[in-house]
Amino acid sequence: MRKCARFAALSLSLAALPLLAADLRTVKEPAQIASVFPPEARVRVLNLWAMWCLPCVVEMPDLRAIDDAFGPEVAIAGVSLDDMLPNAKREKTIEFLDRQKIAFPNVYFTGNPDDLGEHLKFDGEIPITIVYDRDGKELWRHTGRLKRDETIARLRETLRRMK
Amino acid sequence: MKKLGMVVLLLLATLAIADELGSGAKAPGFSLVNATDGETVTMKPDDGKLKVVVFTCNQCPYAKAFEPRLMEIANRYGHKGVHFYAVNPNDESQFAEESLANMKARATEQDYPFPYLKDAGSKVARAYGARVTPHVFLVDGDGTIRYRGYVDDSAKPAERKTTGLTNALNALTEGREVALTETRAFGCAIKWVPSGTTGS
Repeated sequence: MRKCARFAALSLSLAALPLLAADLRTVKEPAQIASVFPPEARVRVLNLWAMWCLPCVVEMPDLRAIDDAFGPEVAIAGVSLDDMLPNAKREKTIEFLDRQKIAFPNVYFTGNPDDLGEHLKFDGEIPITIVYDRDGKELWRHTGRLKRDETIARLRETLRRMK
Repeated sequence: MKKLGMVVLLLLATLAIADELGSGAKAPGFSLVNATDGETVTMKPDDGKLKVVVFTCNQCPYAKAFEPRLMEIANRYGHKGVHFYAVNPNDESQFAEESLANMKARATEQDYPFPYLKDAGSKVARAYGARVTPHVFLVDGDGTIRYRGYVDDSAKPAERKTTGLTNALNALTEGREVALTETRAFGCAIKWVPSGTTGS
């Protein structure tokens, strides 16, 4: 009975949780993006994506699995480029992230895409995933859809080398 | 052994640079079927005319966002003798929306002022090193690429800071040098037809 009561209380508290992505922060300046990572993360994985990009949408469950495979030493953060389209709605991106059950932080980029490309030194093709260390030094990057197991193995190797 | 490694590295570097044709490179010519009327259209690089080759497609929302802008530019510069070629390199065997029939429907519905060409096998896109849709290459009368990259730096007219294609077109039609010759093309990755097949 006590177990049941505890379960009911847990269910209530889960139901009261806010939507996972409801606090999707809007970012206009590319330099602000780095602040999305938690300070304890030793390896920082930045993923640029958009709902209008088919491979980005397809790789989202893989990103969730990659996120699940690591503790706080590896942090993933997404940068939504949905706002590149005229008439884009931030709420649609929130809905998408919720549907995908994405728990890692995302930001909604509303600045000039070319400024972002210059800041991150990428050629405009998404998805792109860039991996940094805690000091912001780039370790490696991957353009195109990630492969789940391959990426997990590579991140484990990255962590191992940092020890 | 060290020398061999160096040669391999240099070769790889050359291949990487050659991937996306840049300003100053010779533009490859092509003959492709126009979805609108089924006729073959030939782009001859050294035909003495300014030409815009834009890789685009039916399904990419970012490419579609630039569609009205490209049509506006084609209408404006078509009167100045600039030829436009819209090339669709996407694999219709994976994405039915990119079929010739659907291309024809889109071109007709939107009333494209340029041929909408089927790049079966994605061969022309590979030859240009196009990566995304939309991806633009401006070719001069001698067949030299004078600008490549985005149409504009933003799909939102109010937020445009640089209009890459029209700046380059203005310069060349007025006999000036193009100031910004290469920009970063954003868009949807090309849905490549596997090498050696036609994708239909």
